[in-house]
Amino acid sequence: MAFRKIDIDALEEDAFGEDEIDFQEIGELRPLADVEAEVNSRAQEVRSLLQRGNTSGALSASLQNPPYGAPFHAAKARNTQTVMEVLNSIKVADVPQLVKSLSPEEQDVLMKYLYAGMAAPEQNNSGHLLAWHEKLTEVAGQGCIVRVITDRRTV
Amino acid sequence: MSDSPIVNEFNQGPISCHAFNGDRTELAICFNTNVVSIFRKSGASWTQTSTLAEHDKPVTSVDWAPRSNRIVTCSQDRNAYVWTLDGASHQWKPTLVLLRINRAATFVRWSPEEDKFAVASGSRCISVCYFEEDNDWWVGKHIKKPIRSTVLSLDWHPNNVLLAAGCADMKARVFSAFIKGIDKKPAPSPWGEKLPFNTVCGEFSNGAGGWIHGVAFSPSGESLAFTGHDSTITVVSPGTGDIQSIRAPYLPYLSVIWLNENQIVAAGHDCAPHLFELKGQQWAFTASLDAAVKKADVGFTARDTFRRMDSRAQSATSTDTEVHTHHQNTINSIRPFSGTPGHVEQFSTSAIDGKLIIWNANSISRGLGNLHL
Repeated sequence: MAFRKIDIDALEEDAFGEDEIDFQEIGELRPLADVEAEVNSRAQEVRSLLQRGNTSGALSASLQNPPYGAPFHAAKARNTQTVMEVLNSIKVADVPQLVKSLSPEEQDVLMKYLYAGMAAPEQNNSGHLLAWHEKLTEVAGQGCIVRVITDRRTV
Repeated sequence: MSDSPIVNEFNQGPISCHAFNGDRTELAICFNTNVVSIFRKSGASWTQTSTLAEHDKPVTSVDWAPRSNRIVTCSQDRNAYVWTLDGASHQWKPTLVLLRINRAATFVRWSPEEDKFAVASGSRCISVCYFEEDNDWWVGKHIKKPIRSTVLSLDWHPNNVLLAAGCADMKARVFSAFIKGIDKKPAPSPWGEKLPFNTVCGEFSNGAGGWIHGVAFSPSGESLAFTGHDSTITVVSPGTGDIQSIRAPYLPYLSVIWLNENQIVAAGHDCAPHLFELKGQQWAFTASLDAAVKKADVGFTARDTFRRMDSRAQSATSTDTEVHTHHQNTINSIRPFSGTPGHVEQFSTSAIDGKLIIWNANSISRGLGNLHL
């Protein structure tokens, strides 16, 4: 039988498209203004926690409620910046203990931000992020990395 | 019964699927080809007795009904065949089943009463097939809504009516596959009461998306376990409303079975079966059931490093390409081998490395017992 020349799947009427998948996994998107306001207030909260020396609180706070959803580019970039600030202000020696104190959900979100940070090596210190990656993988395993890859909710 | 796993190497290529007959003297196995080979146990090894060759494309799944001794195979050629053993000639005779699907069939399982079987397909539907006496052929009814993508795996509930399906649209669902005339009305269960065909009795997600590779009902049918490509195992019990998702720190699992009401074994890309146990009310990972095949050279002390430098001129840690588990590649199927559904004593795993290994569940619990302080 000769190979088809028609892309039969493109002609499929009832295809399971990206939009439907994202709606299934992420749900109804909140208004842009709300999301951006939340990201900005989180940035301030994290900064003040850092200034007071509360690194574990800052880390935990920065990893809450990431702005999932396709239209929120600016909010995502801003939130990534917030997380990078926290990661850069923590010494490598403190990393193992902090990582262990995170909940499994927070560990997964942290791994997402590590990869997001490493994707922009001009802005972020990849060496430092790799050190975080090593310590996080020791605790959360390869499963954590797999979840970053499969999860539609990207940061 | 020896404690260590029984390794069967066939050296015929990766195993895509396997099924034992009722008394475990015969094995139907497919090595990623268009044919299924039947082996018979002779002593400690297996000898090939026949070949089931009807499919035009790779066979994706095979199941052997233990009591009626019928084999069902399904393939990427969009067909399924039911094979019955002809008593006189000892040949397996195929009967074509019209599935009416326009994509590959991916998975097939006989129902507990062996009067129906369900075929999962890439046509985003499940074909539930039963034998129609009047026309002397197998007829398929489709479960379509609300499946949005390829169905990857199936498991039947002990009541012969409910069917769990794991799907590439990242949902695990429980459907009713009630066929009027074949099934009697099932007793009420936590999954629902009035259950006409295609009723969705439950739709579940795991934590972080990912295709649902394996589904399994508990021996009583009260709970459903499923595993996804996000390396999680989720256990759902509609009776109590309890849903627990365990994030495993390992590579994704492709297949799950229940050893008993409190123990689940899952296997997949980490090439070893992993045990999950219910302790109190919490499910958690307990241990890998593959006591790693120890090699002499695997040590990380300074002394071992220098010894390695001497003997093999290697300064780094071991650069072995072998994995330290019995299976050398992804396990794609795990099936109960001996014991009862509520108390599985042995289970078999087949993998892409072409090996079929039979594991002893009892020795594992004894071994784990020794791990307690």
